[in-house]
Amino acid sequence: MTDPTASATASARRSNVSAPRATARAARPRDPRRAAARRLFVGALMALALLCGAVLAQAAQPSEALALDTAKCTARPNGDTGSEVYGATETRVTWEGQAAPDESLTALELTMPEGTTFGLDDARVMLLSGDNLMTRDIPDVEFSADGETLRAVFAEPTVPGSYVRVEVYEVFFPAEGGAMGFSGSYTTAEGDTLPIDDVTPIQVTGKSAFDQLVSNLEQQEWVKQWNSNKFLRLFFNPPLIVSSIPVVFNGFLMAIGIVAVAFPVAIPIGLLLALMRMSKWRVLRGIATTYVNVVRGTPLFLQIYIAFFGLPLAGVQIPSFPLGVIVLSMNSAAYLCEIFRAGIQSIPKGQFEASRSLGMNGAQTMVFVIIPQTVRRVIPTMTSEFILLYKDTSMLAAVGVMEVVMYAKTIVASTGSITPYIVAACFYLIVTLPLAKVVGKLESRLAGTAAPKKRRKKGAGAVASAAGAGAAGAGACAGAGASVGVTGTDSAGVTGLATDVLTAQPLLKNELGDGLGGFGDHSFGMKNTK
Amino acid sequence: MKIKKWGALVACGALVAALGLFGCSSNNAASSASSSAAADGDAGSLTLLKEGTLTVATSPDYPPFENLEDGEYVGFDIDLAKAVAEEMGLECEFVSLQFDGITPAIAAGGQADVGFSGISVDPKRAKEIDFTDSYYIDDQAVAAMKGGAITPDNAAAELNKEGVVIAVQSGTTGETYAQENFPNATVKGYGNSTDCFAAMQSGNATAVCTNLAVVNRMLESAYADAQVVIEVATGEEYAAVVAQDNPELTEAINAALKTLKDNGTLDELTNKWF
Repeated sequence: MTDPTASATASARRSNVSAPRATARAARPRDPRRAAARRLFVGALMALALLCGAVLAQAAQPSEALALDTAKCTARPNGDTGSEVYGATETRVTWEGQAAPDESLTALELTMPEGTTFGLDDARVMLLSGDNLMTRDIPDVEFSADGETLRAVFAEPTVPGSYVRVEVYEVFFPAEGGAMGFSGSYTTAEGDTLPIDDVTPIQVTGKSAFDQLVSNLEQQEWVKQWNSNKFLRLFFNPPLIVSSIPVVFNGFLMAIGIVAVAFPVAIPIGLLLALMRMSKWRVLRGIATTYVNVVRGTPLFLQIYIAFFGLPLAGVQIPSFPLGVIVLSMNSAAYLCEIFRAGIQSIPKGQFEASRSLGMNGAQTMVFVIIPQTVRRVIPTMTSEFILLYKDTSMLAAVGVMEVVMYAKTIVASTGSITPYIVAACFYLIVTLPLAKVVGKLESRLAGTAAPKKRRKKGAGAVASAAGAGAAGAGACAGAGASVGVTGTDSAGVTGLATDVLTAQPLLKNELGDGLGGFGDHSFGMKNTK
Repeated sequence: MKIKKWGALVACGALVAALGLFGCSSNNAASSASSSAAADGDAGSLTLLKEGTLTVATSPDYPPFENLEDGEYVGFDIDLAKAVAEEMGLECEFVSLQFDGITPAIAAGGQADVGFSGISVDPKRAKEIDFTDSYYIDDQAVAAMKGGAITPDNAAAELNKEGVVIAVQSGTTGETYAQENFPNATVKGYGNSTDCFAAMQSGNATAVCTNLAVVNRMLESAYADAQVVIEVATGEEYAAVVAQDNPELTEAINAALKTLKDNGTLDELTNKWF
């Protein structure tokens, strides 16, 4: 049972269909699993067939009652994604039709639209029967082609009333596209040749200038030479590179959209979590610590699965884009929390004390003195976190969010070439490479050291922040390492950092050490507010 | 700068050591495999990833064809691959890949010799890889949750509507079938069929379109609240895939499959799993 409605409507449309048969056809798709109903129905069908036979025997012109109804006529989508059928691109046409109960076929002709070419090698005819048309029979068929007409001659006449499926491979529709009307005819065992009509045209999308370019590229001699090398063909197939760029670009916009919303959302949450973790109230500390440890201690992949498959089960229906944004920002917030906490704790204690002695209260100290200094310190690490978050959008592909990897994957699946993944990698790199450069610049500015030195440090910083995915405590150190540790290797650097960049106040090394190491009594300002 | 160079040197050293170790381990495996392999003369002349071992790529999320049970590969394809390997006098080893990654992996080589993963013979795929003779014929089916808008009576019309999401395993013939026959619906690709069913149960998708045997097994084992709404006798032939530059292996597997067909092993396996 392929497309019962189509067949039902097709039969309803036909004027020469006898009413009882139309009813039977409409009834056929009804739930066949109910055995009683089925038996009843089979009985009805047999009675009908008998009736038909009787009527036909009486009627002098049997051909009037004959008909081969088209149940469906479709072409396999041949774009890289989606269900469009494109012109001048290989596809497969499937035509299905139901013969009248007493009709036995000896030959079948299908005429394709003008300008269409097709191959005969893989063409096949199938006869379907039984409940739901689930019994296959592959008859012996001889195929021949005459222009746009495919002719299939059955070695033996088919069983009367067969449901026939014809599959034609290597079909190329004309490049300009449009509605592709099919026509055809068939020959019955009695020797009558009757037309096949009522075929719903197939909508074929014309080739755009861009598609033409890709096809032209495929024909180029140098491309063929290039592709004769297996490695180059699999990884850097030029036509595929060109054709996947616009497709993958859709995913790129999606990925950018997700991070553009998720990251700004994650920042305040992260800051809040950081302040909670440094709070004097144990409950707040506990909540924030648990959250951060759980989120950082489980893979993002799993979190995505839980959110996408678990929440809907619990009755929470959220569309995939907002849900993706929520999961990523919740995840990123936990990492940002540690970055912020490390940043705040890296501000020397003297800053707190100085603010307090100027008469500021705890909140004022935080907002006007500590956080402004923290921001400058954490910007490089935050940028690294942004890069990580952007790359993590790829994991949403597993739950069907159409982003870069997902689009690339669909093309890989349909072409069997790795090239689209390479294109996808480029779409990540055009964001991450410049940002990595920015991180390096920012870090060197923070460090205030000479150019050659920063390079190596940048690497270290990136590694440290990446390692921040580890255990919570270690992560905090790593976060601090990324922002402060840049200069932490030598005392000269520390002085440089303190005097040039952060504050006008000269600092002592041990104070910085206090700030970094003193996780236990980090709530300097807050404690003092009591 | 000095430190950087030293670092690079150390990294190189580590890489070489790792490669060496890897080489050793694979040598060991090969020697143990060849000693246990049956005295089948032609096995040695085949180009295989690992001498004496048929490395089979499979996507173990497709019961009853292949899935993991307690960490063991089980299923029709698995048994068949083992039987084929035995027939060829080889050890059999499985590597797990996502379904849509198997064909590229076999075409590119280096990961597996052959793919047994319920892969339908398809002229389009045949451009990238070689198919062996087919060993099973399957059909497509669409499943939907019971009590939803889609019932066996109205499925063909209801599925082809905007807003309907059909979950498919990406790269499968089920995906193509859904795209071709339900062009108005959104066809959403997932990495494996388990995710497709999970997505349907959670409401992220309206229906799942995949091979009939898989739908039946899934509904039987885990998704009793879903039902088959459409069955289509597409008559897809399943075959193993081999790289195009390895025709000897394709021939050897075909010969083994023929023997298994003739001696009834294939029928036995079919009866066992379906």
